[in-house]
Amino acid sequence: MRNVMALVLSGGGGERLGVLSAERAVSALPFGGKYRVIDFSLSNCCHSGIERVGVLAQHAPASLNDHVGAGRTWDLDRRVRGVVILQPFQTRSHAGWYRGTADAITQNLNFLEEARPERVLVLSGDHVYRMDYRALILAHEQRGASVTMAVARVPADQTHRFGMVTTDRTGRVRAIDEKPDRSVTPLANMGVYVFEYDVLAEMLRTHPVDLVLDVLRPLVAAGERVYTHEFNGFWEDVGTVASYYRANLELVQPQPRLQLHDARWPILTRDEERPPVIVSGTAEIEDSLIANGCRVEGRVRHSILFPGVHVARDAEVTDAVVMPDTRIEAGARVERAVLDKYVRVGEGAVVGEGTDPGPPELAWLAGLVLVGKDAWIPPGGRVERPASIGVGGRYEDFRDGRVASGTVIPNRLWFEEIR
Amino acid sequence: MNAATYAFILAGGVGSRLCLLSEKRAKPAVPFGGKYRIIDFTLSNCVNSGIYDIGVLTQYRPTSLNQHIGIGRPWDLDRTRGGIQLLQPAPGAFTSDWYSGTADAIYQNLVHLKRRRVDEVLILSGDHIYKMDYNVLYAFHRANRALMTVAVTEVPEKDVSQFGILETEPNGRVTAFKEKPRSPVGSRLASMGVYLFDRDALIRLLVEDAAIADSRHDFGKDILPRMIARNEGVYAYHFPEYWQDVGTLDSYYECSLAFLSSQPPLDLHDPSWIIHTQSADRPPVRVEHGARIEHSMVANGCRVAGQVVNSVLFPGVDVASGAVVRDSIVMHDTIVGPRAVLDRAIVDKEVEIGAGAKLGHGEERAPNRACPEHLSSGLVIVGKRARIPGGITIGANARIGASVSEKDFSAPVPSGGVVDGPDAMH
Repeated sequence: MRNVMALVLSGGGGERLGVLSAERAVSALPFGGKYRVIDFSLSNCCHSGIERVGVLAQHAPASLNDHVGAGRTWDLDRRVRGVVILQPFQTRSHAGWYRGTADAITQNLNFLEEARPERVLVLSGDHVYRMDYRALILAHEQRGASVTMAVARVPADQTHRFGMVTTDRTGRVRAIDEKPDRSVTPLANMGVYVFEYDVLAEMLRTHPVDLVLDVLRPLVAAGERVYTHEFNGFWEDVGTVASYYRANLELVQPQPRLQLHDARWPILTRDEERPPVIVSGTAEIEDSLIANGCRVEGRVRHSILFPGVHVARDAEVTDAVVMPDTRIEAGARVERAVLDKYVRVGEGAVVGEGTDPGPPELAWLAGLVLVGKDAWIPPGGRVERPASIGVGGRYEDFRDGRVASGTVIPNRLWFEEIR
Repeated sequence: MNAATYAFILAGGVGSRLCLLSEKRAKPAVPFGGKYRIIDFTLSNCVNSGIYDIGVLTQYRPTSLNQHIGIGRPWDLDRTRGGIQLLQPAPGAFTSDWYSGTADAIYQNLVHLKRRRVDEVLILSGDHIYKMDYNVLYAFHRANRALMTVAVTEVPEKDVSQFGILETEPNGRVTAFKEKPRSPVGSRLASMGVYLFDRDALIRLLVEDAAIADSRHDFGKDILPRMIARNEGVYAYHFPEYWQDVGTLDSYYECSLAFLSSQPPLDLHDPSWIIHTQSADRPPVRVEHGARIEHSMVANGCRVAGQVVNSVLFPGVDVASGAVVRDSIVMHDTIVGPRAVLDRAIVDKEVEIGAGAKLGHGEERAPNRACPEHLSSGLVIVGKRARIPGGITIGANARIGASVSEKDFSAPVPSGGVVDGPDAMH
């Protein structure tokens, strides 16, 4: 695969993830008990033999820089080829944020031209899936296609989230319909494309902004050979709270459709060195993923604990995703919630109580409680779901020790108190 | 650490009292603490103390150690300057032979000191479990203008006979040294096998020792007594914290399980003193429906559907539904089949335990037939890649050799029994 370069689009700020993406790119979002979302795409590249990768970053790029670094984890720290993070940049004649997916690539045309690959594999860093890109590239080659787009079947009630792709019987693309409420075709555009380099480079000279609207649609309209390749495995775009939560909890199903325990296709991540999980005599754990560095003294059910989480005695964690180094103190209860890093849930506090569906404008919370980084739920505090507590939330955010259903508490700046 | 430093780590030990665990690997490479190897503690102490230039002396079964250390990535020892070097005995060199003792091992590698502008040389053992900031040792050594400083730890009276015991003046100056004294000597300060030498004194002493025909070329037996006899400046630094030699199966077992207590002997979670190790990327522990885990240490990559009580599971262990792992230590990628029961078992890597097999079964406590001196406290030990047939019972103090297969078992294995496979211990 030396003639293929991968570009991983990781610029998205994930507005629909609220507080979870306040200080990080969606691609850098912790996932599955120890990973970051981008690990899936990078591991797929690594296992598919793709040795040259550009990661296009824009929103909160530090989170990605830290994580991807020189690419050691994926054996992409190479002298020739390897991984490069491509951020928006200034030159004497040019300065500009990435205005869209195609614009991001266009702004890095120099980088592409230097490498001169025969094909460009465009990926999204916001997707969770295990895919062998070699099959896609092979299909592309065999058809002599200009572009091949990977597609996945989605349920009829989900078509509004995707670009739906209509093809002829040979798999050649006839139309791409962006986020329709109803669709005759079940095939969704995964945002995974193989381009013939020359075809892509030619299109980029027209200053496109969006890859679908300004590149793919014109190519289809012009009669270029744009084909689909159907992917049948588990695939999820984790750009919304609901899909992020659902994809995480898929992992603790009895027979998960997304397998992490497959030694032939391990998901590689930048691992911190942490001791094994310590489970005390009072702990009860079932149907869960627990990462190294955790200490469990309470009850954990149907949940995912990232490294360094501490669940104290008599605390209960159910249907929750708990990110690194969060502490759940004695007797606290957490249910249907996503807790970010370094959160402290005080003694006897309850996060995620009640059954109120919340106001329609908070439907994006999917009935969950989100708790931002560094937030502190005071002892005995109660948070009803759905609700969102901002980064650094603390005691003053609780009225009578309570956060009512439907509340969204904004982020606090960490230096607010310093005068 | 400001001045240049260099450390040798002695990692050639045979560790014969660890029985099967060190049959195929050097003692420093024996897995410990749910994911580490014994040598990780010493290596991490070095880098956490700012020592980034290290030579590791290997001799016995170095393969697993070589694989483990590699170019030293996990310890940030893959460096442009300094780093880590594995020093194996090599024929044809200026002195060319197997290492005959600890002092000889360093003597044969003196060439590595030639271009290093260091005033002192740190000599460590790769066999011990402890967290120590060597900067404190350097400061003590320099303050005393010592030629050699030995780190010592207080051991119980009953264990005195297993260590090199030092007697000191109140200021720490060493006045006497007895290697493994049979009767009490009035001191309980045991050498930790951690020596800091003045570089030139070390070279002089080693050259001198190499020429002495009846020397055993050992730091404890030869160099140290000679220095004390000549009243050369030998000082003892009393290390006040936890230090453990896991040299026997019993001490290995007890020390391992001590890490399960709510007050473990060492804090492995301390972000300012991380114990680094080479670890494969494994997914988080998967705890399935109906599983029960209590008072245990379980590493990434494990899947638990059965019961795990008071035990240590290394990465990738699979405990099937209905199985019970009690008071046991189970190493990497071992499979515990459905309804199998383990009591007080130490199971090496990649073992397959068939459905319903019972290890450590029954009350009988006959010492092991082959190694009664090492295996008599009721443990069961299973060597690497053994395959244990389903339904079989194995009594306490039994030893199941590495790579045995189902056909090596003809009947239940009684207490103290031995099953040897294709490459049995000699």
